[in-house]
Amino acid sequence: MNCFVRVPADDLIVVKDLYKYFPINAGILSRHVADVKAVDGIDFSIRKGETLGLVGESGSGKTTAGRVVLRLLDATKGEVIFEGRDIQKLGREEIRKLRKEMQIIFQDPYASLNPRMTVGDIVGEPLSIHGIARGKAAEERVQELLRLVGLQPYHANRYPHEFSGGQRQRIGIARALAVSPKFIVADEPVSALDVSIQAQVVNLLQDLQEQLGLTYLFIAHDLSVVRHISTRVAVMYVGKIVEIADRDDLYENPLHPYTQALLSAIPIPDPAVEQRRKRIILTGDIPSPVNPPPGCRFHTRCPVAFERCKVEVPANLTYGNGHIAACHWVEEHGGRAPDITAGPAVVA
Amino acid sequence: MALLEVHDLRVGFKTEDGFVGAVNGLSYSVESGSTLGIVGESGSGKSVNALTIMRLIPIPPGRIDGGTINLRGQNLLLKSEAEMRKIRGKDVAMIFQDPMTSLNPVLTVGDQISEAVRLHLKLGKKDALDKTVDMLRLVRIPLPEKRVKEYPHQLSGGMRQRVMIAMALSCDPDVLIADEPTTALDVTIQAQILDLMNEMQARLGSAIVLITHDLGVVAETCKNVLVMYAGNQVEYGSAAQIFAEPRHPYTMGLLSSLPRLDATDQTRLVPIEGQPPNLLRLPPGCSFAPRCKYRMPICDQPVPLYDFGEGHLARCFLYDERTEGERKLAVETRPAIPGTAAEPPKTAVA
Repeated sequence: MNCFVRVPADDLIVVKDLYKYFPINAGILSRHVADVKAVDGIDFSIRKGETLGLVGESGSGKTTAGRVVLRLLDATKGEVIFEGRDIQKLGREEIRKLRKEMQIIFQDPYASLNPRMTVGDIVGEPLSIHGIARGKAAEERVQELLRLVGLQPYHANRYPHEFSGGQRQRIGIARALAVSPKFIVADEPVSALDVSIQAQVVNLLQDLQEQLGLTYLFIAHDLSVVRHISTRVAVMYVGKIVEIADRDDLYENPLHPYTQALLSAIPIPDPAVEQRRKRIILTGDIPSPVNPPPGCRFHTRCPVAFERCKVEVPANLTYGNGHIAACHWVEEHGGRAPDITAGPAVVA
Repeated sequence: MALLEVHDLRVGFKTEDGFVGAVNGLSYSVESGSTLGIVGESGSGKSVNALTIMRLIPIPPGRIDGGTINLRGQNLLLKSEAEMRKIRGKDVAMIFQDPMTSLNPVLTVGDQISEAVRLHLKLGKKDALDKTVDMLRLVRIPLPEKRVKEYPHQLSGGMRQRVMIAMALSCDPDVLIADEPTTALDVTIQAQILDLMNEMQARLGSAIVLITHDLGVVAETCKNVLVMYAGNQVEYGSAAQIFAEPRHPYTMGLLSSLPRLDATDQTRLVPIEGQPPNLLRLPPGCSFAPRCKYRMPICDQPVPLYDFGEGHLARCFLYDERTEGERKLAVETRPAIPGTAAEPPKTAVA
């Protein structure tokens, strides 16, 4: 395990106490009646060159968090500090310049490419918008980008419908790379792809990170892919981060009962291992982010919840080596994980 | 005799660009109380297979070109629509993939479940409602007396899938076909639903055909596994055989391209190169050949199924005595599971 001291100067992005509420208006006067508390006070940082995996189930707020970090959405409250500047305070022109530094890869390669534009126009558009290259130079840059993501230069003249899902995702990646960004938010980049194609795209993302020194925020619900690609992993549940740790630390030694249940719920493609695993079946559904439970949000489904969990919001506490968890049980038991399973991952 | 026996099933569709063979010769059988997993990627024909058993393929453009589907020895393909209506829901029931779109939004969940119960079990309105409430309780929906009067939009995704299961199981079907029953759900909810399906099977002794692309779900729930690629059955065997000793290069490739939750190192994934096939322009012979790293000249010819004993079958010329394929494989590490095995050498045979 790496035990280096964290130097704050290494952080490319620091997110502090970030909130994003979407108002719900109702009635003929469209009165503000409630909020969808999509992101409800989260803190994390991403170091240069690393991949932070952000996992959670649907409605946990992981996609919203990614968009606020890029300022594709304005935060309700809180700071997103990118290279020392709070991007929530930037003006329009400064935001436009910021787009050269940070980019996004979308989930659905079928919906995120304009069907009426050629691949060359799609990948080349950021070059002209940001005045990076024009004419012949732009053409050459597009071809270079297509080669970089494993496509052929002649693909520039084709339209998105001529490509399969995996190839389209490569086009989306080339478009994101066009402006030479430092930071990329990849929002479920492989979940719409077939299994045999997922590995191609995961390998491509890893190769590009190595070649270009990219920093990733990798948002996904597939914990196996996240384990494979991430340096550190953050787990979200109904708008809050419940646990952050180094990758192996999180998967081998999950502290929060939700992380434990989540890991145990994922079937491993090996019947011999599956027979030996103990599964924690959580009861009930994921609460609504409009009206999240008081105290710890997980207490309604938690097998070890007690009185304090129903009233007091657990604080993010560090339990050595940057392993952060928000759980009263763990706190009161000196950083020990509750034994609600025999261990999430048995190695064959 | 097996409960459900499918033999050499062939189904295709007429399209503007020509005829597409969606299922090209599929054979399998399922016993009472056991689960068969059908694994394949998009376009592999796994859902068409399910819809054909239910006789829900629109004809035209669909066309059933051959084969038999025997349920207790009765060929479902020879039944009239009126006969099928009595079988559907009662003897063979189906759970659809998407619980958001496969329930009728303008009927209460109680109406939707009791429709099947009244039709097949000939119960009166009151008894049908009681049975419906019982079914909802069985699939562990809280407050079933209240939920029975609610509409699908008032329920969460997991609850809707429970309603689908309650509906499918309401007439005690002999065979349950589950087409990606958990794909639209979150993992903690998926665990609940798979657990529920296992419990229901133990209780009712149904045979389950589970169609999925998730090899983890297969490993967790299935006794036997059928692997499909481009409408063909490429491998068949017990879950233990398929996962520990895959024989077809596609099955091997699938297993090696999966990142594993329990992998402790970050060994590079070994993807299957190339793109999924276009069903309109399949190569002659093995449809996986263009992506296969063991491709041989003989792969242009129709591939027979090779038998490895104990029911394990694979459709690949590597096991033909005319080729040196097996020797080629023998020098490589198998199975290539990420994190446990090194990448097999590109050129084989020392």
